[in-house]
Amino acid sequence: MILIVGCVVIGGLLASLGAHLLPVGGAPAAMGTATGIATGTVQIMLGAVLTGLFTAASVATFTDNLLLVSLSGALGATVMICVVMFMANVLYAFGCGVVPVSGRVEVDPITKEPQTAYKTPQTDGHGVPNVVFVSGTMGGFIGGFGGALMYYALLNYAHFSAGTAAVVAFSIFVANAILAAYNIRGTIEGFHDPKFKRLPKALVSSLAVSLLCGIVVVLATIILGGAL
Amino acid sequence: MPIEVVLLFAWMLVIAFLAFIACTFEDLESDMGSQSNPNSQVQLAAQVGQVNRFFNKAISGEPLSNAMYCVTAGTIAWLLLRQFEPLVPGEEWKAAVLAIPIGVLAATMMNVIFATTAHCGRVAGQKRFEQPIYLDVLYGHLMPIGAHAFMTTFCITVIAYIQSNLGTLSGNTALNHPFALPLLGFIWGITVGAIGSSTGDVHYGTEREFQDRPFGEGKRVVYHGKITRYAECGVRTQKDIAGFCAKFGGPCTGLTFGLIILFENWRSMVGMQLGGFLPALPVFTATGDMAAIFAIVLGLLIVAALMVGNLVFVKWVRKKYGPFVGV
Repeated sequence: MILIVGCVVIGGLLASLGAHLLPVGGAPAAMGTATGIATGTVQIMLGAVLTGLFTAASVATFTDNLLLVSLSGALGATVMICVVMFMANVLYAFGCGVVPVSGRVEVDPITKEPQTAYKTPQTDGHGVPNVVFVSGTMGGFIGGFGGALMYYALLNYAHFSAGTAAVVAFSIFVANAILAAYNIRGTIEGFHDPKFKRLPKALVSSLAVSLLCGIVVVLATIILGGAL
Repeated sequence: MPIEVVLLFAWMLVIAFLAFIACTFEDLESDMGSQSNPNSQVQLAAQVGQVNRFFNKAISGEPLSNAMYCVTAGTIAWLLLRQFEPLVPGEEWKAAVLAIPIGVLAATMMNVIFATTAHCGRVAGQKRFEQPIYLDVLYGHLMPIGAHAFMTTFCITVIAYIQSNLGTLSGNTALNHPFALPLLGFIWGITVGAIGSSTGDVHYGTEREFQDRPFGEGKRVVYHGKITRYAECGVRTQKDIAGFCAKFGGPCTGLTFGLIILFENWRSMVGMQLGGFLPALPVFTATGDMAAIFAIVLGLLIVAALMVGNLVFVKWVRKKYGPFVGV
Protein backbone atom coordinates (compact mmCIF):
# COMPACT_ATOMS: atom_id res chain seq x y z
CA MET A 1 0.00 0.00 0.00
CA ILE A 2 2.83 2.37 0.89
CA LEU A 3 4.45 1.41 -2.41
CA ILE A 4 1.33 2.48 -4.35
CA VAL A 5 1.09 5.84 -2.55
CA GLY A 6 4.85 6.34 -2.92
CA CYS A 7 4.81 5.68 -6.67
CA VAL A 8 1.78 7.94 -7.20
CA VAL A 9 3.38 10.76 -5.18
CA ILE A 10 6.72 10.45 -6.99
CA GLY A 11 4.90 10.26 -10.34
CA GLY A 12 2.86 13.36 -9.48
CA LEU A 13 5.93 15.33 -8.41
CA LEU A 14 7.77 14.32 -11.59
CA ALA A 15 4.73 15.41 -13.62
CA SER A 16 4.85 18.84 -12.02
CA LEU A 17 8.61 19.16 -12.53
CA GLY A 18 8.34 17.98 -16.14
CA ALA A 19 5.60 20.51 -16.90
CA HIS A 20 7.80 23.34 -15.61
CA LEU A 21 10.69 22.25 -17.82
CA LEU A 22 8.65 22.17 -21.02
CA PRO A 23 8.99 25.26 -23.23
CA VAL A 24 5.40 26.47 -23.36
CA GLY A 25 4.78 29.40 -25.69
CA GLY A 26 0.99 29.24 -25.66
CA ALA A 27 -1.00 31.32 -28.15
CA PRO A 28 1.73 34.01 -28.56
CA ALA A 29 4.17 31.38 -29.85
CA ALA A 30 1.77 30.59 -32.71
CA MET A 31 2.30 34.17 -33.90
CA GLY A 32 6.05 34.04 -33.31
CA THR A 33 5.63 36.48 -30.41
CA ALA A 34 6.97 34.12 -27.71
CA THR A 35 9.57 31.36 -27.54
CA GLY A 36 8.55 27.73 -27.16
CA ILE A 37 5.91 25.29 -28.33
CA ALA A 38 2.77 26.99 -29.56
CA THR A 39 0.25 25.41 -27.22
CA GLY A 40 -0.74 25.23 -23.54
CA THR A 41 1.19 23.50 -20.76
CA VAL A 42 -1.40 20.83 -20.09
CA GLN A 43 -2.01 20.09 -23.75
CA ILE A 44 1.57 19.45 -24.83
CA MET A 45 2.33 17.61 -21.58
CA LEU A 46 -0.64 15.29 -22.10
CA GLY A 47 0.28 14.67 -25.73
CA ALA A 48 3.80 13.67 -24.74
CA VAL A 49 2.88 11.59 -21.73
CA LEU A 50 0.10 9.71 -23.46
CA THR A 51 2.53 8.74 -26.23
CA GLY A 52 4.84 7.52 -23.46
CA LEU A 53 1.98 5.65 -21.77
CA PHE A 54 1.19 3.87 -25.03
CA THR A 55 4.76 2.58 -25.29
CA ALA A 56 4.95 1.81 -21.57
CA ALA A 57 1.75 -0.24 -21.83
CA SER A 58 3.18 -2.21 -24.77
CA VAL A 59 6.43 -2.87 -22.88
CA ALA A 60 4.55 -3.82 -19.70
CA THR A 61 3.01 -6.75 -21.58
CA PHE A 62 6.38 -8.49 -21.90
CA THR A 63 8.50 -7.25 -18.97
CA ASP A 64 7.62 -6.73 -15.30
CA ASN A 65 10.67 -4.62 -14.53
CA LEU A 66 9.64 -1.25 -13.04
CA LEU A 67 12.67 0.62 -14.35
CA LEU A 68 12.36 -0.71 -17.90
CA VAL A 69 8.64 0.12 -18.14
CA SER A 70 9.18 3.61 -16.70
CA LEU A 71 12.17 4.30 -18.95
CA SER A 72 10.19 3.14 -21.99
CA GLY A 73 7.42 5.60 -21.11
CA ALA A 74 9.96 8.36 -20.49
CA LEU A 75 11.59 7.82 -23.88
CA GLY A 76 8.22 7.68 -25.64
CA ALA A 77 7.38 11.13 -24.26
CA THR A 78 10.88 12.41 -25.05
CA VAL A 79 10.77 11.24 -28.66
CA MET A 80 7.37 12.92 -29.07
CA ILE A 81 8.47 16.25 -27.64
CA CYS A 82 11.79 16.25 -29.53
CA VAL A 83 10.13 15.60 -32.90
CA VAL A 84 7.55 18.33 -32.18
CA MET A 85 10.22 20.89 -31.22
CA PHE A 86 12.40 20.05 -34.21
CA MET A 87 9.53 20.24 -36.69
CA ALA A 88 8.31 23.48 -35.10
CA ASN A 89 11.75 24.93 -35.81
CA VAL A 90 11.54 23.71 -39.42
CA LEU A 91 8.18 25.49 -39.75
CA TYR A 92 9.45 28.69 -38.15
CA ALA A 93 12.54 28.73 -40.36
CA PHE A 94 11.14 27.69 -43.75
CA GLY A 95 7.48 28.71 -43.36
CA CYS A 96 7.88 32.04 -41.60
CA GLY A 97 11.57 32.96 -42.05
CA VAL A 98 12.04 33.25 -38.29
CA VAL A 99 15.28 32.44 -36.43
CA PRO A 100 14.89 30.44 -33.18
CA VAL A 101 15.79 32.85 -30.36
CA SER A 102 15.25 33.04 -26.62
CA GLY A 103 13.52 36.08 -25.16
CA ARG A 104 14.55 35.48 -21.55
CA VAL A 105 18.36 35.29 -21.77
CA GLU A 106 20.87 37.41 -23.69
CA VAL A 107 23.23 34.48 -24.31
CA ASP A 108 22.26 30.82 -24.72
CA PRO A 109 23.52 29.18 -21.48
CA ILE A 110 24.52 25.98 -23.33
CA THR A 111 25.88 27.02 -26.73
CA LYS A 112 26.85 30.59 -25.66
CA GLU A 113 25.23 31.96 -28.85
CA PRO A 114 24.05 35.60 -28.55
CA GLN A 115 20.26 35.95 -28.63
CA THR A 116 19.30 39.62 -28.44
CA ALA A 117 20.65 40.60 -31.87
CA TYR A 118 18.43 37.99 -33.55
CA LYS A 119 15.22 38.83 -31.70
CA THR A 120 12.36 40.77 -33.33
CA PRO A 121 11.57 43.94 -31.33
CA GLN A 122 8.33 43.86 -29.31
CA THR A 123 8.37 40.08 -29.13
CA ASP A 124 9.38 37.71 -26.36
CA GLY A 125 11.54 35.58 -28.66
CA HIS A 126 10.44 33.01 -31.22
CA GLY A 127 11.12 29.41 -32.24
CA VAL A 128 12.86 26.73 -30.17
CA PRO A 129 16.54 27.67 -29.53
CA ASN A 130 18.98 25.08 -28.21
CA VAL A 131 18.67 25.76 -24.47
CA VAL A 132 14.90 25.54 -24.79
CA PHE A 133 15.20 22.31 -26.76
CA VAL A 134 17.38 20.75 -24.04
CA SER A 135 14.98 21.87 -21.31
CA GLY A 136 12.01 20.48 -23.25
CA THR A 137 13.79 17.16 -23.74
CA MET A 138 14.40 16.94 -19.99
CA GLY A 139 10.78 17.89 -19.29
CA GLY A 140 9.46 15.22 -21.64
CA PHE A 141 11.74 12.57 -20.10
CA ILE A 142 10.85 13.44 -16.49
CA GLY A 143 7.12 13.79 -17.17
CA GLY A 144 7.01 10.58 -19.20
CA PHE A 145 8.90 8.72 -16.46
CA GLY A 146 6.39 9.96 -13.87
CA GLY A 147 3.40 8.90 -15.96
CA ALA A 148 4.79 5.46 -16.73
CA LEU A 149 5.79 4.95 -13.07
CA MET A 150 2.22 5.61 -11.96
CA TYR A 151 0.92 3.28 -14.67
CA TYR A 152 3.27 0.50 -13.54
CA ALA A 153 2.30 0.90 -9.86
CA LEU A 154 -1.41 0.85 -10.65
CA LEU A 155 -1.04 -2.14 -12.95
CA ASN A 156 1.23 -4.33 -10.83
CA TYR A 157 0.79 -3.16 -7.22
CA ALA A 158 -2.87 -2.07 -7.24
CA HIS A 159 -3.72 -4.83 -9.78
CA PHE A 160 -5.88 -2.61 -11.97
CA SER A 161 -6.60 -3.73 -15.53
CA ALA A 162 -4.40 -2.10 -18.20
CA GLY A 163 -7.16 0.27 -19.35
CA THR A 164 -8.13 1.38 -15.83
CA ALA A 165 -4.49 1.84 -14.84
CA ALA A 166 -3.93 4.07 -17.87
CA VAL A 167 -7.02 6.18 -17.22
CA VAL A 168 -6.19 6.61 -13.51
CA ALA A 169 -2.50 7.39 -14.16
CA PHE A 170 -3.51 9.86 -16.84
CA SER A 171 -6.09 11.51 -14.52
CA ILE A 172 -3.59 11.99 -11.69
CA PHE A 173 -1.15 13.36 -14.25
CA VAL A 174 -3.72 15.88 -15.55
CA ALA A 175 -4.34 17.20 -12.03
CA ASN A 176 -0.62 17.80 -11.53
CA ALA A 177 -0.12 19.31 -14.98
CA ILE A 178 -3.00 21.75 -14.41
CA LEU A 179 -1.48 22.79 -11.07
CA ALA A 180 1.80 23.41 -12.89
CA ALA A 181 -0.04 25.43 -15.55
CA TYR A 182 -1.61 27.63 -12.86
CA ASN A 183 1.84 28.19 -11.38
CA ILE A 184 3.42 29.02 -14.76
CA ARG A 185 0.63 31.44 -15.74
CA GLY A 186 1.16 31.76 -19.47
CA THR A 187 4.51 31.08 -21.05
CA ILE A 188 7.76 29.56 -19.78
CA GLU A 189 10.97 28.75 -21.63
CA GLY A 190 12.45 26.12 -19.30
CA PHE A 191 14.95 25.84 -16.48
CA HIS A 192 16.65 29.13 -17.39
CA ASP A 193 13.40 31.11 -17.20
CA PRO A 194 12.89 33.28 -14.07
CA LYS A 195 9.44 31.69 -13.71
CA PHE A 196 11.13 28.33 -13.02
CA LYS A 197 11.94 29.63 -9.53
CA ARG A 198 8.25 29.25 -8.71
CA LEU A 199 8.68 25.46 -8.87
CA PRO A 200 8.79 24.77 -5.08
CA LYS A 201 5.25 26.11 -4.62
CA ALA A 202 3.95 23.83 -7.38
CA LEU A 203 5.77 20.86 -5.86
CA VAL A 204 4.08 21.43 -2.49
CA SER A 205 0.62 21.58 -4.13
CA SER A 206 1.49 18.60 -6.26
CA LEU A 207 2.56 16.62 -3.20
CA ALA A 208 -0.77 17.32 -1.50
CA VAL A 209 -2.83 16.37 -4.58
CA SER A 210 -0.79 13.27 -5.38
CA LEU A 211 -0.96 12.07 -1.77
CA LEU A 212 -4.73 12.42 -1.84
CA CYS A 213 -4.88 10.58 -5.18
CA GLY A 214 -2.62 7.83 -3.78
CA ILE A 215 -4.92 7.36 -0.77
CA VAL A 216 -7.99 7.21 -3.05
CA VAL A 217 -6.26 4.58 -5.21
CA VAL A 218 -5.42 2.50 -2.12
CA LEU A 219 -9.01 2.77 -0.85
CA ALA A 220 -10.31 1.74 -4.28
CA THR A 221 -7.93 -1.22 -4.27
CA ILE A 222 -9.04 -2.32 -0.79
CA ILE A 223 -12.78 -1.83 -1.31
CA LEU A 224 -13.14 -3.03 -4.90
CA GLY A 225 -10.34 -5.60 -4.85
CA GLY A 226 -9.54 -7.01 -8.29
CA ALA A 227 -12.76 -5.66 -9.81
CA LEU A 228 -10.92 -2.78 -11.49
CA MET B 1 12.12 -13.94 -41.30
CA PRO B 2 8.77 -15.47 -40.19
CA ILE B 3 5.68 -14.11 -41.92
CA GLU B 4 4.21 -12.91 -38.57
CA VAL B 5 7.18 -10.59 -38.06
CA VAL B 6 7.03 -9.29 -41.62
CA LEU B 7 3.30 -8.60 -41.22
CA LEU B 8 3.97 -6.82 -37.94
CA PHE B 9 6.39 -4.42 -39.62
CA ALA B 10 4.05 -3.98 -42.58
CA TRP B 11 1.16 -2.98 -40.32
CA MET B 12 3.47 -0.60 -38.49
CA LEU B 13 4.16 1.20 -41.77
CA VAL B 14 0.43 1.35 -42.54
CA ILE B 15 -0.14 2.94 -39.12
CA ALA B 16 2.63 5.51 -39.72
CA PHE B 17 1.14 6.40 -43.12
CA LEU B 18 -2.34 6.82 -41.61
CA ALA B 19 -0.82 8.99 -38.87
CA PHE B 20 0.68 11.26 -41.54
CA ILE B 21 -2.70 11.66 -43.23
CA ALA B 22 -4.53 12.13 -39.91
CA CYS B 23 -2.35 14.95 -38.63
CA THR B 24 -2.19 16.72 -42.00
CA PHE B 25 -5.98 16.88 -42.09
CA GLU B 26 -6.15 17.76 -38.39
CA ASP B 27 -4.03 20.83 -38.97
CA LEU B 28 -5.99 21.84 -42.04
CA GLU B 29 -9.28 21.33 -40.18
CA SER B 30 -8.08 23.67 -37.44
CA ASP B 31 -7.03 26.20 -40.10
CA MET B 32 -10.34 25.84 -41.91
CA GLY B 33 -12.33 26.60 -38.78
CA SER B 34 -9.68 28.81 -37.14
CA GLN B 35 -9.51 26.71 -34.00
CA SER B 36 -6.70 26.78 -31.46
CA ASN B 37 -4.04 29.40 -30.78
CA PRO B 38 -4.10 31.76 -33.81
CA ASN B 39 -7.85 32.15 -33.30
CA SER B 40 -6.97 34.60 -30.53
CA GLN B 41 -6.20 37.06 -33.36
CA VAL B 42 -9.51 36.41 -35.14
CA GLN B 43 -11.24 36.98 -31.80
CA LEU B 44 -9.25 40.15 -31.25
CA ALA B 45 -9.68 41.48 -34.81
CA ALA B 46 -13.24 42.72 -34.42
CA GLN B 47 -12.33 44.29 -31.08
CA VAL B 48 -9.66 46.46 -32.73
CA GLY B 49 -12.01 47.51 -35.55
CA GLN B 50 -11.01 44.87 -38.09
CA VAL B 51 -14.39 43.47 -39.17
CA ASN B 52 -13.62 40.23 -41.03
CA ARG B 53 -15.06 37.21 -42.83
CA PHE B 54 -13.08 34.59 -40.87
CA PHE B 55 -14.74 31.51 -39.39
CA ASN B 56 -14.40 31.59 -35.59
CA LYS B 57 -14.56 28.06 -34.19
CA ALA B 58 -12.77 27.92 -30.84
CA ILE B 59 -14.59 24.90 -29.43
CA SER B 60 -11.76 24.08 -27.04
CA GLY B 61 -8.07 23.27 -27.25
CA GLU B 62 -7.39 21.00 -30.23
CA PRO B 63 -6.21 18.00 -28.15
CA LEU B 64 -9.39 17.89 -26.12
CA SER B 65 -11.79 18.37 -29.01
CA ASN B 66 -9.98 15.77 -31.13
CA ALA B 67 -9.92 13.34 -28.21
CA MET B 68 -13.68 13.81 -27.90
CA TYR B 69 -14.31 13.08 -31.58
CA CYS B 70 -11.97 10.09 -31.63
CA VAL B 71 -13.41 8.59 -28.44
CA THR B 72 -16.95 9.07 -29.76
CA ALA B 73 -16.02 7.43 -33.07
CA GLY B 74 -14.05 4.69 -31.28
CA THR B 75 -16.83 3.89 -28.82
CA ILE B 76 -19.53 3.68 -31.48
CA ALA B 77 -17.26 1.63 -33.74
CA TRP B 78 -16.34 -0.66 -30.84
CA LEU B 79 -20.01 -1.24 -29.92
CA LEU B 80 -20.93 -1.92 -33.55
CA LEU B 81 -17.96 -4.29 -33.92
CA ARG B 82 -19.23 -6.31 -30.97
CA GLN B 83 -22.59 -6.59 -32.73
CA PHE B 84 -21.35 -7.22 -36.27
CA GLU B 85 -18.34 -9.49 -35.71
CA PRO B 86 -20.40 -12.58 -34.66
CA LEU B 87 -22.36 -12.20 -37.93
CA VAL B 88 -19.25 -12.74 -40.10
CA PRO B 89 -17.15 -15.43 -38.34
CA GLY B 90 -13.67 -15.74 -39.79
CA GLU B 91 -14.03 -12.51 -41.75
CA GLU B 92 -14.13 -9.93 -38.95
CA TRP B 93 -12.62 -7.25 -41.18
CA LYS B 94 -15.98 -6.96 -42.93
CA ALA B 95 -17.48 -5.76 -39.63
CA ALA B 96 -14.75 -3.10 -39.35
CA VAL B 97 -15.44 -1.83 -42.87
CA LEU B 98 -18.97 -0.98 -41.80
CA ALA B 99 -18.51 -0.09 -38.12
CA ILE B 100 -15.63 2.39 -38.36
CA PRO B 101 -17.16 4.77 -40.96
CA ILE B 102 -20.48 4.83 -39.07
CA GLY B 103 -18.69 5.73 -35.82
CA VAL B 104 -16.62 8.39 -37.57
CA LEU B 105 -19.70 9.85 -39.27
CA ALA B 106 -21.37 10.31 -35.87
CA ALA B 107 -18.24 12.06 -34.53
CA THR B 108 -18.12 14.30 -37.62
CA MET B 109 -21.73 15.33 -37.08
CA MET B 110 -20.81 16.31 -33.52
CA ASN B 111 -17.93 18.37 -34.88
CA VAL B 112 -20.17 20.21 -37.34
CA ILE B 113 -22.75 20.94 -34.60
CA PHE B 114 -20.02 22.28 -32.31
CA ALA B 115 -18.57 24.33 -35.17
CA THR B 116 -21.97 25.93 -35.83
CA THR B 117 -22.70 26.78 -32.21
CA ALA B 118 -19.13 27.93 -31.52
CA HIS B 119 -19.04 30.25 -34.56
CA CYS B 120 -22.52 31.71 -34.05
CA GLY B 121 -22.00 32.11 -30.30
CA ARG B 122 -18.62 33.78 -30.60
CA VAL B 123 -19.54 36.12 -33.42
CA ALA B 124 -22.89 37.01 -31.80
CA GLY B 125 -20.88 38.01 -28.73
CA GLN B 126 -19.00 40.52 -30.91
CA LYS B 127 -22.13 42.45 -31.86
CA ARG B 128 -20.95 45.48 -29.90
CA PHE B 129 -17.90 45.62 -32.22
CA GLU B 130 -20.23 45.57 -35.26
CA GLN B 131 -19.00 42.18 -36.46
CA PRO B 132 -21.86 40.58 -38.46
CA ILE B 133 -22.56 36.85 -38.73
CA TYR B 134 -22.06 36.28 -42.47
CA LEU B 135 -24.36 33.37 -43.30
CA ASP B 136 -22.46 32.47 -46.48
CA VAL B 137 -19.28 32.15 -44.36
CA LEU B 138 -21.13 29.89 -41.92
CA TYR B 139 -22.70 27.64 -44.57
CA GLY B 140 -19.65 27.62 -46.82
CA HIS B 141 -17.25 26.39 -44.18
CA LEU B 142 -19.27 23.66 -42.48
CA MET B 143 -18.80 21.11 -45.26
CA PRO B 144 -15.00 21.54 -45.55
CA ILE B 145 -14.68 21.44 -41.74
CA GLY B 146 -16.72 18.23 -41.63
CA ALA B 147 -14.76 16.68 -44.51
CA HIS B 148 -11.38 17.42 -42.92
CA ALA B 149 -12.61 16.24 -39.51
CA PHE B 150 -13.92 13.02 -41.06
CA MET B 151 -10.49 12.24 -42.51
CA THR B 152 -8.71 12.92 -39.20
CA THR B 153 -11.11 10.92 -37.05
CA PHE B 154 -11.29 8.12 -39.60
CA CYS B 155 -7.51 7.69 -39.76
CA ILE B 156 -7.15 7.81 -35.96
CA THR B 157 -9.95 5.27 -35.47
CA VAL B 158 -8.37 2.96 -38.04
CA ILE B 159 -4.99 3.32 -36.27
CA ALA B 160 -6.67 2.44 -32.97
CA TYR B 161 -8.43 -0.52 -34.61
CA ILE B 162 -5.20 -1.84 -36.13
CA GLN B 163 -3.26 -1.41 -32.89
CA SER B 164 -5.90 -3.07 -30.73
CA ASN B 165 -5.99 -5.98 -33.23
CA LEU B 166 -2.34 -5.91 -34.30
CA GLY B 167 -1.65 -9.42 -33.04
CA THR B 168 -4.77 -10.88 -34.64
CA LEU B 169 -3.94 -9.20 -37.96
CA SER B 170 -0.33 -10.39 -37.95
CA GLY B 171 -1.01 -13.91 -36.74
CA ASN B 172 -0.31 -13.86 -32.96
CA THR B 173 -3.10 -12.61 -30.67
CA ALA B 174 -0.66 -12.01 -27.77
CA LEU B 175 0.58 -8.93 -29.62
CA ASN B 176 -2.78 -7.11 -29.46
CA HIS B 177 -2.35 -3.84 -27.56
CA PRO B 178 -3.73 -4.09 -24.00
CA PHE B 179 -5.81 -0.90 -24.43
CA ALA B 180 -9.30 -1.07 -25.95
CA LEU B 181 -10.14 0.74 -29.19
CA PRO B 182 -11.81 3.81 -27.57
CA LEU B 183 -8.87 4.32 -25.17
CA LEU B 184 -6.38 4.17 -28.04
CA GLY B 185 -8.62 6.65 -29.87
CA PHE B 186 -8.41 8.91 -26.83
CA ILE B 187 -4.60 8.66 -26.64
CA TRP B 188 -4.03 9.41 -30.32
CA GLY B 189 -6.80 12.03 -30.34
CA ILE B 190 -5.02 13.97 -27.60
CA THR B 191 -1.63 13.50 -29.29
CA VAL B 192 -2.79 14.45 -32.79
CA GLY B 193 -4.42 17.57 -31.37
CA ALA B 194 -1.33 18.49 -29.33
CA ILE B 195 0.85 18.21 -32.43
CA GLY B 196 -1.59 20.02 -34.72
CA SER B 197 -1.86 22.78 -32.16
CA SER B 198 1.86 23.14 -31.47
CA THR B 199 3.36 22.65 -34.93
CA GLY B 200 0.89 23.47 -37.69
CA ASP B 201 -0.57 26.57 -36.07
CA VAL B 202 2.73 28.36 -36.55
CA HIS B 203 2.30 28.52 -40.33
CA TYR B 204 -1.23 29.90 -40.01
CA GLY B 205 -0.58 32.23 -37.07
CA THR B 206 2.85 33.63 -37.88
CA GLU B 207 2.68 33.70 -41.65
CA ARG B 208 -0.77 33.50 -43.24
CA GLU B 209 -2.69 35.50 -40.65
CA PHE B 210 -0.27 38.45 -41.00
CA GLN B 211 0.74 38.19 -44.63
CA ASP B 212 0.68 41.94 -45.25
CA ARG B 213 3.38 42.40 -42.56
CA PRO B 214 7.13 42.04 -43.16
CA PHE B 215 8.23 38.43 -43.79
CA GLY B 216 10.98 36.92 -41.64
CA GLU B 217 10.16 38.27 -38.21
CA GLY B 218 8.07 37.26 -35.24
CA LYS B 219 4.79 39.13 -35.19
CA ARG B 220 5.08 42.14 -32.90
CA VAL B 221 2.52 42.80 -30.20
CA VAL B 222 1.36 45.99 -31.98
CA TYR B 223 0.24 43.88 -34.95
CA HIS B 224 -1.99 41.67 -32.81
CA GLY B 225 -5.57 41.67 -33.96
CA LYS B 226 -4.71 43.45 -37.21
CA ILE B 227 -5.02 40.35 -39.36
CA THR B 228 -4.79 40.23 -43.16
CA ARG B 229 -8.40 40.51 -44.32
CA TYR B 230 -7.96 40.55 -48.08
CA ALA B 231 -7.05 37.54 -50.18
CA GLU B 232 -5.23 37.24 -53.49
CA CYS B 233 -8.65 37.91 -54.99
CA GLY B 234 -11.48 39.42 -52.94
CA VAL B 235 -12.07 39.24 -49.20
CA ARG B 236 -10.24 36.46 -47.35
CA THR B 237 -12.05 33.56 -45.75
CA GLN B 238 -10.68 30.38 -44.23
CA LYS B 239 -10.88 28.59 -47.58
CA ASP B 240 -7.95 30.70 -48.81
CA ILE B 241 -6.04 29.92 -45.62
CA ALA B 242 -6.45 26.12 -45.73
CA GLY B 243 -5.33 26.11 -49.38
CA PHE B 244 -2.18 28.02 -48.46
CA CYS B 245 -1.35 25.99 -45.33
CA ALA B 246 -1.90 22.72 -47.24
CA LYS B 247 1.29 23.55 -49.16
CA PHE B 248 3.61 23.53 -46.15
CA GLY B 249 2.14 23.73 -42.63
CA GLY B 250 -0.25 20.78 -43.04
CA PRO B 251 2.22 18.27 -44.50
CA CYS B 252 4.90 19.31 -41.95
CA THR B 253 2.44 18.69 -39.13
CA GLY B 254 1.48 15.35 -40.66
CA LEU B 255 5.14 14.44 -40.91
CA THR B 256 5.59 15.25 -37.21
CA PHE B 257 2.88 12.84 -36.08
CA GLY B 258 3.89 10.26 -38.69
CA LEU B 259 7.49 10.33 -37.47
CA ILE B 260 6.43 10.02 -33.83
CA ILE B 261 4.23 7.01 -34.54
CA LEU B 262 6.92 5.50 -36.77
CA PHE B 263 9.73 5.98 -34.24
CA GLU B 264 7.67 4.72 -31.30
CA ASN B 265 6.41 1.57 -33.02
CA TRP B 266 9.65 0.97 -34.90
CA ARG B 267 11.89 1.07 -31.85
CA SER B 268 9.57 -1.25 -29.90
CA MET B 269 9.43 -3.78 -32.72
CA VAL B 270 13.11 -3.63 -33.60
CA GLY B 271 13.81 -4.02 -29.85
CA MET B 272 11.60 -7.13 -29.79
CA GLN B 273 13.38 -8.51 -32.84
CA LEU B 274 16.90 -7.79 -31.57
CA GLY B 275 16.09 -9.11 -28.09
CA GLY B 276 14.93 -12.43 -29.60
CA PHE B 277 11.38 -11.84 -28.38
CA LEU B 278 9.76 -12.35 -31.80
CA PRO B 279 8.11 -14.59 -32.87
CA ALA B 280 7.99 -16.90 -29.79
CA LEU B 281 7.00 -14.12 -27.29
CA PRO B 282 8.39 -15.52 -23.99
CA VAL B 283 6.76 -12.91 -21.68
CA PHE B 284 8.22 -11.86 -18.32
CA THR B 285 11.57 -13.51 -18.99
CA ALA B 286 15.10 -12.22 -19.56
CA THR B 287 14.26 -12.18 -23.28
CA GLY B 288 11.38 -9.77 -22.63
CA ASP B 289 13.70 -7.57 -20.56
CA MET B 290 16.30 -7.60 -23.34
CA ALA B 291 13.65 -6.53 -25.88
CA ALA B 292 12.76 -3.57 -23.64
CA ILE B 293 16.44 -2.66 -23.17
CA PHE B 294 17.07 -2.67 -26.94
CA ALA B 295 13.96 -0.50 -27.47
CA ILE B 296 15.19 1.96 -24.81
CA VAL B 297 18.68 2.15 -26.36
CA LEU B 298 17.14 2.82 -29.77
CA GLY B 299 14.94 5.50 -28.22
CA LEU B 300 18.02 7.16 -26.70
CA LEU B 301 19.74 7.10 -30.08
CA ILE B 302 16.71 8.73 -31.75
CA VAL B 303 16.58 11.46 -29.07
CA ALA B 304 20.35 12.06 -29.39
CA ALA B 305 20.04 12.30 -33.18
CA LEU B 306 17.20 14.81 -32.88
CA MET B 307 19.14 16.93 -30.37
CA VAL B 308 22.22 17.03 -32.60
CA GLY B 309 19.98 17.68 -35.61
CA ASN B 310 18.38 20.66 -33.87
CA LEU B 311 21.79 22.00 -32.82
CA VAL B 312 23.07 21.87 -36.40
CA PHE B 313 19.79 23.22 -37.82
CA VAL B 314 19.61 26.21 -35.43
CA LYS B 315 23.27 27.03 -36.12
CA TRP B 316 22.64 26.87 -39.88
CA VAL B 317 19.51 29.04 -39.69
CA ARG B 318 21.27 31.68 -37.58
CA LYS B 319 24.17 31.82 -40.01
CA LYS B 320 21.97 31.85 -43.11
CA TYR B 321 19.41 34.41 -41.91
CA GLY B 322 21.72 36.55 -39.78
CA PRO B 323 20.79 39.04 -37.04
CA PHE B 324 17.56 41.06 -37.15
CA VAL B 325 17.91 43.98 -39.56
CA GLY B 326 14.41 45.50 -39.58
CA VAL B 327 13.27 48.52 -37.62
